[in-house]
Amino acid sequence: MMKINTLLVCCFLSLVMISCQKAISPNTATGTVKITIRNTVKGNPMVLNTGNYTNSFGEQYNITKFKYYLSNVSVTTTPINTFNGRYYLIDQSNPASLSFSFEAPVDTYYSLKFLIGVDSARNVSGAQTGALDPLNDMFWTWNSGYIMAKMEGNSPQSPVVNNKVEYHIGGFAGTNSVLKNYGFIITDPAGINIREGKISEIFMDADFDTWWQGVFNLKIADNPVVTTPGVLAKSISDNYVSMFSITDIKNY
Amino acid sequence: MKTRVIIFFGLLVLIAAIFISACKKNDVQPGEPHNPTYIDLTIPAGWPTPTSDIFANNKLTEEGFQLGKKLFYDGKLSKDGNFPCASCHQQFAAFATFDHDFSHGFDNSFTTRNAPGLFNLAWMTKMHWDGGINHIEVQPLAPITAQNEMAETIDNVLNKLRADTEYPALFKSAFGNTDINSQRMLKALAQFMGSIISSNSKYDKVQRGEASFTATEQNGYDLFKAKCETCHKEPLFTDNSFRNTGLAVNPFLNDFGRMRITNDKNDSLKFKVPSLRNVMLTFPYAHDGRFYSIGAAIDHYRTGIITTQPTLDPLLVNRIAITNTQKNDLIYFLNTLTDTTMTKAARFAQ
Repeated sequence: MMKINTLLVCCFLSLVMISCQKAISPNTATGTVKITIRNTVKGNPMVLNTGNYTNSFGEQYNITKFKYYLSNVSVTTTPINTFNGRYYLIDQSNPASLSFSFEAPVDTYYSLKFLIGVDSARNVSGAQTGALDPLNDMFWTWNSGYIMAKMEGNSPQSPVVNNKVEYHIGGFAGTNSVLKNYGFIITDPAGINIREGKISEIFMDADFDTWWQGVFNLKIADNPVVTTPGVLAKSISDNYVSMFSITDIKNY
Repeated sequence: MKTRVIIFFGLLVLIAAIFISACKKNDVQPGEPHNPTYIDLTIPAGWPTPTSDIFANNKLTEEGFQLGKKLFYDGKLSKDGNFPCASCHQQFAAFATFDHDFSHGFDNSFTTRNAPGLFNLAWMTKMHWDGGINHIEVQPLAPITAQNEMAETIDNVLNKLRADTEYPALFKSAFGNTDINSQRMLKALAQFMGSIISSNSKYDKVQRGEASFTATEQNGYDLFKAKCETCHKEPLFTDNSFRNTGLAVNPFLNDFGRMRITNDKNDSLKFKVPSLRNVMLTFPYAHDGRFYSIGAAIDHYRTGIITTQPTLDPLLVNRIAITNTQKNDLIYFLNTLTDTTMTKAARFAQ
């Protein structure tokens, strides 16, 4: 009988622990991880509307909208994974969206992980709010699911109306899912060194130029508009998964 | 000994429940008492458990239901005020559009598919003829923003609701404070629509032993079970699957159904199997309303199916053999699926 009781206790304790996974115990000393993103094109800061850019195929374009989701952001070290259940909509037209912070237990971390997009569970869970509010114009009303990354602009090489270029990249299920887990291993021995009550700041660049090539060569002239889930959306996501780089880490 | 184990087990459940609830974020702001009237969705006896628990993260309350009903009937959700949800989903037509192949939308436009009836949505896994909508809460975003339906932006709708004299108080009683956002509006609409259950037709009364079929109706029911039941599965009268029933493509619409959602050519021309409950009220039939009478719809299965379409449902490759007498019996049976309790219920009326 004692054995069964012990088993039950274990079961329930683990249930309780699982249910509380997201919460950091109030007794744990924590610091802040702040991530600051700079959207760029070929290494230069992205300028919406007026910036004139040329891709590696010689096609000229500008960018009027550039936004994408990051979720499941965490810094990790064995055995800690500071899973962060928040969703961030990075929007080049909204400077406040270009940096965000979360708490992590005091430790030195050598890895940063995130998902580019909104995890599949949230795509099938009904009405959401905050960064996931459909008001943010990143939700398809005709084929439920989030647009994980969006670029709009114009290019003289685009054959469609008003020379538009529109990439609304989404699709969370099946072989054409565009969801990408991405992670950095930090080689600097200082790592992300979180100290109690202090901030560790991670600076990342996200370079739009990666959308055109890397895995697939995608010309504006051939594919000026991608606004449905499918092979093309998947191909663009295969390219853009490598748009991020860490440029600096500052431990305060 | 057994009692002690039970007590011990119970205590553990209690402790776990306290811990789990302690970890949940509370939406209601402190200091504001919020005591809505919780209600349960009554599952008709003998029905399957709903496939998706649409109220799992949207606790059904009387206040939420009433707010959802007001929203459902309110033209403010459309651009020019003329197109509430109820303009295409009429209660007397089992919440379909009565006698219309396509419904009317903003600026004298037509929809591109036949409006389905709205009932028993808790058992529906996907919305739209092509299954593109995966949750009842996000369904209203499609008609509200479609240019040929309500033609409005969500932002404008919310601003109209915020400026209204009644809505802030109704949102407060449903959700604890006067904040009006898209999530709350959509959850309230889901509470209303998800509560519409059709389970009191003559068929249902026969199943419960409260009535009996006439001989003709019984013949029709027997035929139904032999020839229609696989797709139009009882008691919901749909198996929620997507199938190609061998309809010619309408050249004005070029609607290939589910393929648009899945990008899979195997899904070409597949549409959702509609429930046959209230079928006599939801005419015309098929995704584009091409069959104006139930007889014409049955005739399609007898003689009209285009058997050369590669994605045609395997069950229909030989069409369905139904004699004229059987067709007549079948129509008598289908008449027993009309549920006037639902279509006249004051609870669902404006």
